[in-house]
Amino acid sequence: MPRSARRFSTSVPTLVTSVLVLLALIAPACSTGGDDRLTVYSGRTKGLIGPLLDEFNEETGIKIDVRYGDSADLALQIDAEGDKTDVDIFISQSPGAVGFLDAEGRLAELSQSELDQVAADFRAGDGQWVGLSGRVRVLVYNTDLVDPADLPDSVLDLTAPEFKGRVAVAPNNGSFQDFVTAMRIEVGEDVAEDWLSGMAANGARPYANNTAIVEAVGRGEVPMGLVNHYYLAKAKAEDPDIPAANHYFAEGDMGSLLIVTAAAIVKGSDKSEEAGRLIDFLLSKAAQEFFAQQTYEYPLVQGVEPDGSLPALASLPTTTIDLDELGAGLARTAELIQDSGLDRN
Amino acid sequence: MDAAARRRPAPFGISLTSAAVALVFAAPLLYLVSRVAVGDVRLRTVVADPVTRDALWNTIVLATLVAVSAAVVGTALAWVVARSDVPFRRFFAVLVPLPLVFPSFVGALALRASISPGGLLESVLGPFGVERLPQVDGLLGSWLVLTLFTYPYVQLPVAARLRSLSPSVEESARILGRRPLAVFFQVVLPQTRTAIAAGTLLVFLYAVSDFGAVDLLGYPALTRVIYANRLLRRDLALALGLVLAIVALAVTVAERRVGRNAATLPSVRTKWSRTVPLGRWRWPVFGLVVFFLLNALVAPVASLVHWTRRGMASGSLDVADADLWTPVLNTAGIGMVTALVAVVVVLPVAFLGARYRSPVAGPALTLVVAGFALPGIVIALSMVFLSLNTPFLSGLYQTFPLLVIAYVVHFGAQSVRAAGVAIGAVPSRLDDAARMLGADRLRRLVRIDLPLMAPGLAAGAGLVLLSTMKELPATLLLAPTGFETLATRIWGATEANSLAEAGLTAIVLLLVSGVLTWLLVVRRADVLD
Repeated sequence: MPRSARRFSTSVPTLVTSVLVLLALIAPACSTGGDDRLTVYSGRTKGLIGPLLDEFNEETGIKIDVRYGDSADLALQIDAEGDKTDVDIFISQSPGAVGFLDAEGRLAELSQSELDQVAADFRAGDGQWVGLSGRVRVLVYNTDLVDPADLPDSVLDLTAPEFKGRVAVAPNNGSFQDFVTAMRIEVGEDVAEDWLSGMAANGARPYANNTAIVEAVGRGEVPMGLVNHYYLAKAKAEDPDIPAANHYFAEGDMGSLLIVTAAAIVKGSDKSEEAGRLIDFLLSKAAQEFFAQQTYEYPLVQGVEPDGSLPALASLPTTTIDLDELGAGLARTAELIQDSGLDRN
Repeated sequence: MDAAARRRPAPFGISLTSAAVALVFAAPLLYLVSRVAVGDVRLRTVVADPVTRDALWNTIVLATLVAVSAAVVGTALAWVVARSDVPFRRFFAVLVPLPLVFPSFVGALALRASISPGGLLESVLGPFGVERLPQVDGLLGSWLVLTLFTYPYVQLPVAARLRSLSPSVEESARILGRRPLAVFFQVVLPQTRTAIAAGTLLVFLYAVSDFGAVDLLGYPALTRVIYANRLLRRDLALALGLVLAIVALAVTVAERRVGRNAATLPSVRTKWSRTVPLGRWRWPVFGLVVFFLLNALVAPVASLVHWTRRGMASGSLDVADADLWTPVLNTAGIGMVTALVAVVVVLPVAFLGARYRSPVAGPALTLVVAGFALPGIVIALSMVFLSLNTPFLSGLYQTFPLLVIAYVVHFGAQSVRAAGVAIGAVPSRLDDAARMLGADRLRRLVRIDLPLMAPGLAAGAGLVLLSTMKELPATLLLAPTGFETLATRIWGATEANSLAEAGLTAIVLLLVSGVLTWLLVVRRADVLD
C-alpha cells in the first residue's frame, strides 16, 4: 500500500507539470487579434491556400489568423457569430456555401475593380463575392477497366444500363450539390429529379468525397466516378502510375460544369482596407499562377494559363449559369438528393 | 455485505458538485431540446418519416453488432495481455489499444484501401490464388471497421480490472480442480462484468455517433442524414441529434441496470498478479493476436506508409518540410489537459454513483454518459450557439477553456465509467478502518481510494486522451483560430487529396499516441514492474 501511494503521489505532480509546460509551449501559437491582423475562415485547406497567405504576410506585414474547415460549417459558423464576428474574409470551396452567406446578408460588397478582374460568369451578380479559381466536373475512370470510347457524351446518359453499378458519386459533397443545382436551373427540375432517381435505380455507388472516389477508382474498386478534375492531377503527382484518367463530357453538357472557389469580405469587418488588399492579392498574377501550378486548378483572372497537362479553359465546355442561383437553390437540391435515395444505395 | 445496503446518504457537497457537473454535461442536450421546442420541426413528424426511421434502424443495428463483437474481442485481448504468458505480452500491451487513435475518416479510408478490391492485401494474396477480395463497405464493412477501431474501449478498462483483481480466488478455483477455461467463465468473467458492460456501452455510443466511418463506407446511418442537413435544414439536423440522444439515454439507463448488483471482489494492489500459463496454446494465441493486429493496426498503417512512400518517391512530399512539431505539441498538450480535467471533474459523479444513496446520482451519471452519443458536429455546433448567445459565456468562444469543456462533455463518459468501475472495487473495509482511525475524507481519498483506483483512472484518462487527440469537428469550430492539431492537419490533407501528407501525419499521430499510452496508461496501470 505505501508503495502504491508513493507512486501515485509522485505521478500526479509529474503529470501536472508536464501539462503546464506543454500549455506554455502551445499558448503562443494562438494569439488574439491585434491591429494589423486579418481573421480568415477558409474552406480551402492549408495546402490549397496557406502558402499564399504566408506570402501576403511577408509582402505586406499584415498577419493572418486563419481557421480551416469545411466550407459549409464555416459559413454556418459565420452566420451564427452574426454581428459579433471577428471574421474579415471567408474563402469558400464552393459557390453554395458563400451563396448561403450572401442570402443571409452576411457579406459586404466588393469593389468594382476587384470584381472586374474575373469574367462576370465567375462572380456574384450582386458583387458580394468573387471567384478565385475553377474546377471542372469530370468523370474519372480506371484505364484498365474502361475503354474511353464507351464513355458517354452527356452526364445524363450515366443512367443507361451499361453503367449499372459502375459509377461512384459523392451525394453530400458540395461540388456534387452545386452540379445538381446547375442541372436543375439549366435543364429543368424534372430532368434533374429523374436523373437523380435514375442514378439511384442504376446502382450508383455513394462515396464520402472526391478523394475517396479517386482512390477507389485508382484501385479498380469502382470503374468510374463523378468528381472535380484536379483530384486526379494531385493523385498523379503522388503516384504517376495510377491507371486513371479524366473524361470530359461534350461541349455544353451539364456534366462539365465549371465550379468556382470564392472569396468574400464579411459584413461588419473593421479592416475592410486590409481585407481588400488580401482579395487583390488572391487575384494577382502570382496567386493565380499558384492555383494553376500548385493546385492544378483553372485560374480565373485573364492572362494566366492553367497547367499544361490540362485542356485550356476556353476549349472546355463550361456552363454559364447565374451562380447566385446556385447558392439560393441549394436547399431544394439537398432535398432532391435526399428524396432520390442516392445516398442510401 | 451487500453493496446497496451499505450505502450511506450522500454528503451535500458531493451531491451539489455532481449536479453542477451534470448541468454542464447536459448543456448540448438542453440546447437541442430548446431548439426543437421553438423550431418548426416536430419530433413526432421526424420520427414518423420513413427516411429517418430507416436511418435510425440502420444505426441501431450497426451499433448493436459492433458492441457485441467489440465486447468479445476486447475482453479476450484484455485477458491475453493482462493475464496470459503469451510471448511479447508487454509489447502487445502497448500495441493493442492503439487502433483507437485512428480518426475514423482516415482510418476507414486507409483500412479500405488495404483490404478492399485492388488493395495491398490483394497484391499480397495474389500469389496464393486469391484474385478478387470482397467489397469492404455497407453494413458488413462498417461493422468490421468500427469493431477494429473501438474494441479498446472494452479492452482498456477490462485489462485494468483484471490487473487489480486478487489472484487468490482464481488460485482457489484452480486448486479445487477447475480447468482454466472454467476459471475464466466462472470466476474472471463475473468479476469483470461491470468493466465489460461499461466498455461495451462506450462502443455502442461511439458507433451511434460515428460519422467518418459510415460516411466513407457508404452505410446509411442517421449521422449521415444529420450531416447532410446541418447547413440548410438545421432544425431537422438538430431534431435528429435529439433522437440520437434519446436512444443514448435509454441504452445508458439500461446498462446501469445490468451493471447494478454485480458481485465485485475488492481491488488489491499486489506485486504479484496471477499469470495463466497457456501451455501448448501459447503460440496459437500469439498467432491469433498477431492476426488481429494485422487487421486492426498493420492493414491501415500499411496504406498510410504506402501513401507516404509514394509521395516521397515522386517528390510531392518533403518530410523535412512537413513542419509537424507545432501540431504534435498542440495535440499532445490539449489531449493531456483534457484527460486530466475529464478524470477530475467526473470523480464526484462517479463517487456519488458508486458509494452513496442520492437522487442526483442516476440522472447525473446518465447525462455524463449520454454526451458521448451525440455526433461531434452536434456538440460542436451546440457549443458554438450556446457560447455566442449566453452573455457571460461569449468571452469563452473559441478559447482553450471552451474547447476543453467541449471535449470533456463529449468524452467524459469514458472516464466516468472507468472511475465508477474503479471505485466499486475499492474494499470498503479499508475506508471504514481509516475513518475509525480519524482520517478525514480528503485524506482517505488521497491515501486509500486514489491509489487503489489508479489503474482504472489511468485507463479512463487514456481513453479520453486518445479520443481527444483524434477529435475533429469541435477542434475545427471551437479551437482558437490558428490552432492546428494532427487531426485537423490529416483532415486538411485528405480534403486536398494529399494522401502522402495525410499518411505521414497519421503515422506521427499513431507514434505520439503510442508513446503517451505507454507512458501514462500502460506503465501506470501495470502493477507488475
